Amino acid sequence: MFYNNIHTRIRYCFLICLICLTITIAKVFYIQVFQYNKLNTLAESLWSRKLPISADRGEIIDRNGNVLATNITTTSLVIIPSQVVNAEDTAKKLSEILNSDYKDMLAHVTKRTSIERVHPEGRRLDYETAEKIDALKLDGVYLVKESKRYYPHGDLLSHVLGYVGIDNQGLSGLELYYNEYLTGSDGSIKYFSDGKGHKLELAEIYEAPTSGITLQLTIDLDLQEAVENELDNAMQKYDADSAIALAMNPKTGEVLAMASRPDFDPNNYQNASTEVINRNLPIWMTFEPGSTFKIMTLASALEEKKINLFEGSFTDGGSINVDGATIHCWKHGGHGTQSYLEVVENSCNPGFVSIGLDLGTETLMNYIRTFGFGSKTGIDLNGEGTGILFKTEKMGLVETATTAFGQGVSVTPIQQVRAVSAAVNGGYLYTPFMVKNFLERETNSIIKRIEPNMEKQVISEETSKLVRFALENVVAKGSGHNAYIENYRIGGKTGTAQTVENGVYSASKYILSFIGFMPADDPEVVVYVAIQNAKNVVQYGGTVSAPIAKNIFRSAIDILDIAPSKETIPKEYTWLDTKYVLMPNVEGLSLEDAKAALKGFKVEYSGDGQTVVYQSPNKEMYVKEGGTVVLMLN
Amino acid sequence: MKNKNFDYKLLIAVILIASFGIVMIYSASSIWAEYKFHDAFKFVKAQAIFFLAGLGMLYFLSKIDYKIYEKKANLILLICFILLVLVLIPGIGSIRNGSRSWFGFGGFGIQPSEFAKLGLIIFVSKYLAGNQKLMQNIKKGVFPILLVIGVFFLLIMLEPDFGTAMVIVLTLVVMIFISGVKLSFFVKIGVLALIGIVALIIIAPYRMLRIVAFLNPWSDPLGSGYQIIQSLYAIGPGGLLGQGFLQSRQKQFYLPEPQTDFIFSIISEEFGFLGILIITSFFAFIFYRIIKISLKTNDLFGKYLSFGLGVGILIQALLNIAVVIGLLPVTGVTLPFFSYGGSSLLVSLASIGIILNISRK
Repeated sequence: MFYNNIHTRIRYCFLICLICLTITIAKVFYIQVFQYNKLNTLAESLWSRKLPISADRGEIIDRNGNVLATNITTTSLVIIPSQVVNAEDTAKKLSEILNSDYKDMLAHVTKRTSIERVHPEGRRLDYETAEKIDALKLDGVYLVKESKRYYPHGDLLSHVLGYVGIDNQGLSGLELYYNEYLTGSDGSIKYFSDGKGHKLELAEIYEAPTSGITLQLTIDLDLQEAVENELDNAMQKYDADSAIALAMNPKTGEVLAMASRPDFDPNNYQNASTEVINRNLPIWMTFEPGSTFKIMTLASALEEKKINLFEGSFTDGGSINVDGATIHCWKHGGHGTQSYLEVVENSCNPGFVSIGLDLGTETLMNYIRTFGFGSKTGIDLNGEGTGILFKTEKMGLVETATTAFGQGVSVTPIQQVRAVSAAVNGGYLYTPFMVKNFLERETNSIIKRIEPNMEKQVISEETSKLVRFALENVVAKGSGHNAYIENYRIGGKTGTAQTVENGVYSASKYILSFIGFMPADDPEVVVYVAIQNAKNVVQYGGTVSAPIAKNIFRSAIDILDIAPSKETIPKEYTWLDTKYVLMPNVEGLSLEDAKAALKGFKVEYSGDGQTVVYQSPNKEMYVKEGGTVVLMLN
Repeated sequence: MKNKNFDYKLLIAVILIASFGIVMIYSASSIWAEYKFHDAFKFVKAQAIFFLAGLGMLYFLSKIDYKIYEKKANLILLICFILLVLVLIPGIGSIRNGSRSWFGFGGFGIQPSEFAKLGLIIFVSKYLAGNQKLMQNIKKGVFPILLVIGVFFLLIMLEPDFGTAMVIVLTLVVMIFISGVKLSFFVKIGVLALIGIVALIIIAPYRMLRIVAFLNPWSDPLGSGYQIIQSLYAIGPGGLLGQGFLQSRQKQFYLPEPQTDFIFSIISEEFGFLGILIITSFFAFIFYRIIKISLKTNDLFGKYLSFGLGVGILIQALLNIAVVIGLLPVTGVTLPFFSYGGSSLLVSLASIGIILNISRK
């Protein structure tokens, strides 16, 4: 037919057009089905704007749940410039309320950005200011919740807690060390806007912020408060340069209290000098320990069986000659002939020099390093000091001799507390730690528990027992007697070390320290106190630091619920001391017999009868000589 | 009975698709119209007037014997030529989107290039019908008509309106193809066209930008790639079933002038793949009915004319969709029956009127 050729080509064209149409439909299908997720996500981010809601930072609580660091909610000003109707008017009103520069505010209001934070004048607004802004009902002006860190106890535990910056980021202390745990993830209010930034009438999507993790510390708030009070008193009394106190559970390494002066208020950390803020003295400061270090020499010698506390003797003539150098005892004229127990009680320098030399340089230094000196303890805080020890291979006899009584070495307080804990807890060296549990914020359920870390056994249980006995005697009969508490078993050692100024020992500035533990038979707490450059007082550790430690022990008795003991070593009294005597048991005796037994006490009765059924104070406790005894008769 | 052959199916399909087009003009344009003119119905009212006028014209033209165009083809083409020249003169022609391509009458605009498309299809149909034998001779048969097409192409490119020029040239070349010209000739033309496109890009580098944007729209998301990215952000989230009528987000000031070239994106967003399947099926059905008419008619001029008008509509639709979904660089081709623009709708409906008249025979 005539049109055949044309018709064939028309059909071809039709077919080609249909193929082209099919290809385009396939492409649309590809975009709408296979690229759907990708494009939808991209488009969603184009359409949606987010108003940030800052997450609450995790709280910090003590071992009993008392809050040490928390958050208070404030509001912050946020502007969405594209929604602002009248920029000049908005800027004028806002700058009036905030008392800020109009031009700065106008710059914020007209900035070409999706969301503008007015920083810093619009951050952390107080309630009245926020209310005023809210009342204006300005378009594009939003108030968002922002939380601010708050430390309810002010200065308390400030160095350990640390502080946070304006964006709630941890800048020091635990706030810095555990910043990742404490920081939650921010939430947002997501709303949809058109291409010009105007809010669309679509549902807003609320993404809840996730709060940070709560840290539960090993710290006991009550003990911490007691320790802080003691340091405040000491600072006031002695006008000291600095003061340090530590309390630790020797069986676990849990730090129960850690404090130092000078300190700061983390709520207003800007007011303190950076030196004060950055130096957490109990872990940062390194200095000569002095006589407290003799505990290490004692423990080493007992473990090596170089001395016997009860057999053998040492005669102190007031000084000892080591390799041509004369080392004096702190007591002019010396202590005369003593048993080794007495050497410890008297803190006799020549005695310890002789023990150290007997041990030998290598053995002594090995023990000192094994006790953890010369290396960081690994406590979960930043800024820990390492200290300095002599290098064993470069040590002569003089260096060995001085090291044996705590001179020429430099250590941190936390190192001493750890080492003494090991010496008295049966010989086990624990890593000190601050955080006990990580808790979920809302339910306080434990996410992760930190178990005590026993690093190694340093000395045997037997040696440890001897060390405890010797140190209990130091408190009962020796240089530590100012820490003695009746009816409780306390062991300890004083220390008086010269501080180094400009490379030479200062003649007048000392660090007076005391390290002790209680109960001496089964220690539950080790307490360390150091006072730097105390004034208006005889500078001995026994006179300044031991009484402070005693007060801390007194508080610890109640707080840690430590039971009194009947097996205390009676104190040796000086004429200054009030005497304590053992209360005889008179229960069940007749009144006559009781009176005879209670000779020297004032006796009061209650009730009728001739037989004692109850006595107060209780039988077999140490009570003040000449004190009152109340008897109940029947 | 004269109306026995009248293609009601085609008429109904066209009325349905054009009505849906009006509805979509409202959905796509209302937010911009409210923003710019404080009248959400601004664009849909104007388009509705053209739609009614177009329906009137469709009815009118379906009654008029199409043979009259064969007689008046030269005159029609001359008028088109004069209009295309006039529109280039500043003061007479107005500029829109960088092209001096339309006459303003009150609130309405007339695009002479749209009418030139109609005029040229009529002229070429007449030429091909009258020189059936001569078309086997490239020099004497094909070159003269190519020369005429070339003159109009250049005129439209002077505006410049690359999109319309492409639609016209492609349509006319396809018409020449079905007239039975040797295939080898088209291969040569294809090579020439390629060279021509390269030349056009060298003349106006912004076209190169469009090609780069086409290849990787994300290379310049705020510049040359902007439109295509915004288009994809509309189509993609549409998914299988769409966001729902009036629920497009991309029309909220993201996609510029969503009622014109990119109305297909908004349809995809609101009605999803299902909606796209339906409207492309309508296009295919309309094209199929027109091809049937073309095959059925015994008059050679009518055959060429109906085919030319039909393939013109389909080519335009294909080009528009290909651009919107990122298959071709952005050219500025409207979607027949959908995109906002009076001239385009008027000419499309008029074309259907003429085709319906051919179907009566």
